[in-house]
Amino acid sequence: MLPIILLSVFGIVLLFMGFLKSKVLLLPATLVFILAALATTFMDWGKTYLYFQNMLLTNNLAILFTTIVLLSAFMVVALSNSFIEDEQAQPAEYYALLLFSLVGAIMMISFENLIMLFVGVEILSVAMYVLAGSDKHSPRSNEAALKYFLMGAFATGIMLFGIALLYGATGTFVVSGIKSYVYTNAYGVSLLLYMGIILLLIGMLFKVSAAPFHFWTPDVYDGTPGLFTAFMSTVVKTAGFAALFRVLSVSFVGVYSFWWGTLAALTCLTLLIGNVTAVYQTSFKRMMAYSSISHAGYLLIGLTALGTQTKQALVFYSLAYSLATISAFGVLLVVSRQRQDTNGVNENFDAFNGLARQNPLLGFVMAVSMLSLAGIPLTAGFWGKFMIFTTAADKGIYWILVFAVLMSTVGIYYYFRVIIAMYFREGAAEPVKVAPFYRYVLIAATILTLVLGLAPGLLEGLV
Amino acid sequence: MQTDLLCSLIPLFPLIGFAINGLGFRKVPASLVGPISSAAALASFAVSLMLFSGFSGQPVKATLFDWISVGSLHINFSFQIDQLSLLMLLIVTGVGSLIHIYSIGYMKHDEGFGKFMAFLNLFLFFMLLLVTGSNYVIMFIGWEGVGLCSYLLIGFWNKNVNYNNAARKAFVMNRIGDLGFLLGIFLLITTFGSVEYTDIFEQATRFAVGDKMILAITLLLFVGAMGKSAQIPLYTWLPDAMAGPTPVSALIHAATMVTAGIYMIVRSNVLYTLSPVTLEVIGVIAIATAILAASIGLLQNDIKKVLAYSTVSQLGYMFLGLSVAAYSSGMFHVITHAFFKALLFLGAGSVIHAMSDEQDIRNMGGLRKHLPLTFITFLLGTIAIAGIPPFAGFFSKDEILAHVFLHNKALWGLGLVGSAMTSFYMFRLLFLTFFGEFRGTEAQRHHLHESPATMTLPLIVLAVLSVAGGLLNLPGGGWLSHFMEPLFAGSAQVSPEAFGHEIDHSTEYMLMGISTAVAIGSAIAAYVVYISRHAVPAPESAERSGIAKLVYNKYFVDELYEIAIVRPIRALGDALYNFGEFIIDGIVNGVAWIVRAASAQLRLLQSGSIGFYVFAMVFSIAVIVIVRFFVRF
Repeated sequence: MLPIILLSVFGIVLLFMGFLKSKVLLLPATLVFILAALATTFMDWGKTYLYFQNMLLTNNLAILFTTIVLLSAFMVVALSNSFIEDEQAQPAEYYALLLFSLVGAIMMISFENLIMLFVGVEILSVAMYVLAGSDKHSPRSNEAALKYFLMGAFATGIMLFGIALLYGATGTFVVSGIKSYVYTNAYGVSLLLYMGIILLLIGMLFKVSAAPFHFWTPDVYDGTPGLFTAFMSTVVKTAGFAALFRVLSVSFVGVYSFWWGTLAALTCLTLLIGNVTAVYQTSFKRMMAYSSISHAGYLLIGLTALGTQTKQALVFYSLAYSLATISAFGVLLVVSRQRQDTNGVNENFDAFNGLARQNPLLGFVMAVSMLSLAGIPLTAGFWGKFMIFTTAADKGIYWILVFAVLMSTVGIYYYFRVIIAMYFREGAAEPVKVAPFYRYVLIAATILTLVLGLAPGLLEGLV
Repeated sequence: MQTDLLCSLIPLFPLIGFAINGLGFRKVPASLVGPISSAAALASFAVSLMLFSGFSGQPVKATLFDWISVGSLHINFSFQIDQLSLLMLLIVTGVGSLIHIYSIGYMKHDEGFGKFMAFLNLFLFFMLLLVTGSNYVIMFIGWEGVGLCSYLLIGFWNKNVNYNNAARKAFVMNRIGDLGFLLGIFLLITTFGSVEYTDIFEQATRFAVGDKMILAITLLLFVGAMGKSAQIPLYTWLPDAMAGPTPVSALIHAATMVTAGIYMIVRSNVLYTLSPVTLEVIGVIAIATAILAASIGLLQNDIKKVLAYSTVSQLGYMFLGLSVAAYSSGMFHVITHAFFKALLFLGAGSVIHAMSDEQDIRNMGGLRKHLPLTFITFLLGTIAIAGIPPFAGFFSKDEILAHVFLHNKALWGLGLVGSAMTSFYMFRLLFLTFFGEFRGTEAQRHHLHESPATMTLPLIVLAVLSVAGGLLNLPGGGWLSHFMEPLFAGSAQVSPEAFGHEIDHSTEYMLMGISTAVAIGSAIAAYVVYISRHAVPAPESAERSGIAKLVYNKYFVDELYEIAIVRPIRALGDALYNFGEFIIDGIVNGVAWIVRAASAQLRLLQSGSIGFYVFAMVFSIAVIVIVRFFVRF
């Protein structure tokens, strides 16, 4: 559990570094800190440990999810070089908040006690509320922060209520304790337990922006500065699904027949709303918000069809999704900043017009990322979808499979709009410039997406 | 561990070469392009030699990673080094290196030199995957990859519409074969639950001879081989493929890619031995191809077309050998053919180079004085392919014919006829090109010159190999057949009677005598016609009668395909297009319209008001709870 301690300490160190005149050291220092946390994460590889009086439990799955989260954070931070030039920005605080939110994410991934889940969610969320409003002079950013906070507080209340009911039913907060309660009372579990499950699920589904609890997502994603949107849509989602998986696969697997129908219905609703609403968007960023809702839907399929393949599918999908999303936001950040229109940064689809000609590299990175999100073969996204769909097929839930495939064809429509804009539309002639390090991060993410698309077996056997 | 590394290095070198020259096209200086790509090929060759010298006789498998896992099917990305892959490795990298070096001289002045060398490297990469892969899926990747490179290189001079059409034809015909191959792989998966060679062949030994499933698999795989190795009915792309630059014809369309079909069957020999019916089918197709192609070669006037038909015909001989379960003889012919056919193509390239891109032998003649080195090496190549002892071609072809003789006398007779034609068209080519008076234009005569050293050096090396290649497998149990024996252990186990035949020495000498006499007789006939009587083939416009017309026009096979297959498919395509235009498009656009309309409505839910959002959440929670707890279903 060294990473939790390290990241907390590093966060405080970063706050102190903010007193320094020069901001130059902050970015490299943060990257080093994240790498250090990543390295210590692997110290527990291959073993199962309980920490802090059975509060946290690490195993290989938790380590893999932690790796995805830290990797995403690393890439997001690496893409944050614009803060240095920005007079208004307070990078020390941003980075410190990012590290604190990672502490929350790791707690959500490796909790053994529902209290830790709650604490993790709160640590993560509070940091995100602040970061959503970090662009203090933009009304949109302020609105986003306030909306996120109000809705988030509401959802947290519901989740806490659920946890309380679970405690009332089982007399324990421990995940495995609830499991043994469910097994010993298989024929007469208390109604409180059912209500608790529903409310806890709803609280978590809010965090991963599943319908019908997704309403905050488009507004918040849209208003939040792009970099933190990327962080939100990858780290928060991955951690949320890791938490959902742990609680569903350990505590509630005994009452699968109770919750799977509800989850299946919500899965379909999420897929429908995410994909269909994305079609009509004119802003790329809003499209990505709906896209993130639809990907929550795909990930939910894996949970609905909970089985032996689920964890592998979730890990692979989260990784593929995070890589593609971060590269997409990375390109968006550069392009929107350099192609400003009258309203400031231009985050619409037309900002990408002719990008492939002015900067083939950015065009390619974006194209691969869109193909991966759409699930086209030779990208990691294809295998992610394939594994998720396999879980549903294994479980015999074919109707959800058919629905998901239909919805993913809708997805092709809006992802390809970007590719069409980049490759077939005429755009502004001035070239788009990218800083070298920025470029390396994007190239690395793209290569990783392609490598995983060619050889999905590389991750096999880890989980 | 070390073998693992070496195995992955072999295909890696050409891939790196491709990356450098391909990504750096127009940026890498022209003087570096050649050395880089040739070094990549030579490095692979060196590693192959190391593997070969360190080979213990036991197959070695190197697994890079678990590639695809679906249900119970696991496909590894792995290589297998055994006798067969080693032989293919040495041919591909050895001949490949020589042709890379040759290309430096041949293509140097071309605008797309860097692109060309990059494609050659890419081809080498895929070909090496094809021969070293340890399962059918890796073989398939290589199979498709070499097809792609073949397409790219045939249409390399893509400003010429005819060349593009030739490239497309090659691609389409290969796709037909690939479909068969792919279906074969699917059947292999359903039958054996694996694509790994070792698994499949181990399981296959438990099948009975004549099993229906094996029959289907082997026939489908053979369809793949037909496409790639240009057998009837899928052979017409190979002569057209001569549109590509000559080094391509030598490397891809003579020495390596087109022998992939033979490699595949030798690799799957257990399956083929289990299915005598398939072997019969192969035998019939092989002999028909051998004779048909040889007869067309008799009247062709384009130096490369003659060689192309000769290749088709020789491939027929290789399949003929396989059809009588003489797998090692087939492979032997693959090896010697790689030497002499690469030599002949490169020699032809040297001639074309000297003649300022003239390919019609009616306009050549008397070139031996101007191109002495090319002439001598071409002569050696011709003797080798004609089957005159003690050159390489004699031993390999004779071995095939000897096995066929034991199996089926009629097939042997036909084989001998083809052999006579081979000798005739090759000497005709030689005499018309290098002897007699020069028949070209004055400008061409002025330009005649021997090729640079980068081109003649490969010729010399290949000529030596063509002369001495026979030593690999002298009659009466040579090194090669002994070396390859472990590959056929499975076959021998499932069907001992297919192998047991030992040919006795007197018959063997008699057969040798007959084939030598036939070859020399044909050569003399060619001498009489084209040297003593100074005959020169009639120009294009001349009226030809009866059989000559039929043969000169390649039996009108292309026209037949056009009428019988291409046009009906076009008509069907038109019909489906019209259908799709109105009905399918209507449905598709209709669905798209509905989605957009739904999207427009759903979008309105996103009102921006927190009050509404919270209300929606509470309402949803209420609905979930009510449905879950109070509605019974």
